[in-house]
Order: sequence, then C-alpha cells, then structure tokens
Amino acid sequence: MKLTETQIQDLYTFTRQHFVEHYDLQTELVDHLANDIETQWQEQPKLSFEDAKNKAFKKFGIFGFMDAIEQKQKAMNKRYRGYLWNELKKWFELPQIISTLALFLLFYLAFSSDFVAISSMIFYMIIGAWVTYKTIQLNRQFRRRKELSNKKWMLEEMIFRQAGATSLIFLSQIHNVFIISDELLTSIYAIVGLSIAFTALVLVNYISFEIIPNKAEKLLNETYPEFSL
Amino acid sequence: MSNSKLYKGSLTTIILKLLNEHDKMYGYEITQKVKALTKGELKITEGALYPALHKLEAEGLLDVEVAKVDNRLRKYYKLTETGTKETVNKLEELAEYIKTMQALVNPKLV
Repeated sequence: MKLTETQIQDLYTFTRQHFVEHYDLQTELVDHLANDIETQWQEQPKLSFEDAKNKAFKKFGIFGFMDAIEQKQKAMNKRYRGYLWNELKKWFELPQIISTLALFLLFYLAFSSDFVAISSMIFYMIIGAWVTYKTIQLNRQFRRRKELSNKKWMLEEMIFRQAGATSLIFLSQIHNVFIISDELLTSIYAIVGLSIAFTALVLVNYISFEIIPNKAEKLLNETYPEFSL
Repeated sequence: MSNSKLYKGSLTTIILKLLNEHDKMYGYEITQKVKALTKGELKITEGALYPALHKLEAEGLLDVEVAKVDNRLRKYYKLTETGTKETVNKLEELAEYIKTMQALVNPKLV
C-alpha cells in the first residue's frame, strides 16, 4: 500500500512541527518516513497512519531530527563558504586583481595620511550603510521569493538572509579600529595590515551581498537537483 | 544483542562500502541493506545515518541525484571519484584495525 498525496503532505507538516524548517531536508525525511510506513503496512496492513508514523519517528531516537538538522546546517555552511572562497579567488586573478590592488592602494594612502581616524570612520560608515541597505533589500527579495514558492531552501535562506553574518563580525570590531587609529599608525606593518583588512572586508561584503545573490538561481540549481523539478 | 558501541566508529566505512557496491542508494534503502547484510546484528539508527550521509556529501565523497518516485521526491546518494578512493583507504584502515584487535584478543602462544 502506497501513501496518498494527503498523507505525504501530512508528513511534511510533521517534519516542520519537529523543527525541520527547510524543504530540502524535509523532503528527504518525508521519503524515509513514507518508506518506513509502507514497510510497516506490508506486515500490519490494519495499522493506522498515525501509529505507523509515530513508530517510524521513534526510530530516530530521543533527539528526533535534531542531529540531522544540525549536520545539514554545518554541511550547507561549508558549501556556502566554498562558494564565497571561489568568488574571492577570482579577485586575485586578472583582470579583477587590478581592482583589488586599486582598493588596497586607496586604503593604504588613507591610512598613511594624517587622517587615519577620520578615514577609517568614514570607510566604516560607508560600508555599514551599504551593508544595512543590502540586508534590507535582500530580505525583501527573499520575502517576495517566498510569496511565489513556499518552499524554504536552506542555501537560499543563507544567501538572502544570512549574507551579513560574516560582515557583522568585521563591523563589530569597529572599536578596535578606533583604538588603533588613535595611536596614529606609524608602523608600516600596521598600515599594510589595516589596508589588507579593509580590502578583505569590502571584497567579502561585495561577494556576499551582491555577487552571490545575483547567482542564486545557478547556485541553487547546482546544489539541489530537485530545485527545478 | 546490543553491540552498537563497537560499531559506532565504523558507520562511515559501512556507508562507503555499501555505495561502492551499488550504483546509487537512498537513505531508507541503506538502513535496510545494513540490517539484511548483518542479519539484524547492526541497526543503523536513523538519527545517526542522515547526519553521516550529509557529512560525507559536504566532504565531497558523495554526490546526489533526485528522482520523482510514486508521489514524492527521492534523494539518491552515489560515490564521487574521491569517494571511491576514500572507500579503499577506509577499508584498509578497518582491516588494519581488525588485525590489531585480533592480536590483542588472541593470546600469543609461546
């Protein structure tokens, strides 16, 4: 006996109730539960759907789906970082390396000048404003995408809603930068170090907030064979 | 008989070996095959299987394919080229482990 469409949808709801928010993991677990239920029905055809479902879920142990959720998040984070790294590498190859060097030079000149504190504050404000604007824009885009399809893909959420995670860490170091600036960087290593940090900050933000979201469809199709099914 | 603690570290190796012998498999199928192969001695808990599969996928050892079966989607796993090489390594490691344990368990006759 095979499960009906309604029963399959019930399983999707069941996984969501047990904290599986994302369609990709829901689908895999739904198929597993469905297979288990169908196997149970081969031996006990009179068993109710509810009882069979609960028996199937019990086999996941006391933590239910939690381990699967945690591991899937880790795996997807790793994948996202891989995409970020692939994009970042391109900025050190021709022709983009020219832009990277120009950016570095801009920061280097600013931090070698007498206006280190002001420069760094202005840079932080510009970056912060742009990051805030892009975060709002991407969240809006994500909401619009969810109006069209109520399936929430883990990677999609990472691309549109969690893009700022890395940059927030950088931005939160602002007080450290001010302390450095107050000492008026005299060491060439400090100036180069700070210039590299800002160059990296700009590149990572640009990739997370602009490049990767623009490639979302391609990356989602690459990650999920079922995305276009 | 519950001997799951002895098998715990070998889950990855078991998954890789099974996939090495079959073109592609889905999660539920893997649990059933392990049960059949080990005559019920080893039951992979579902709570352990899926994390292991996703980890292997993240490490590039497994590739995935999705197909529409009955009225749902089914995710199949298969070994990548790296995965096939890693299977050989893991099986050698396990063979070495068994050899060492054998030496410990069987007293040497003087």
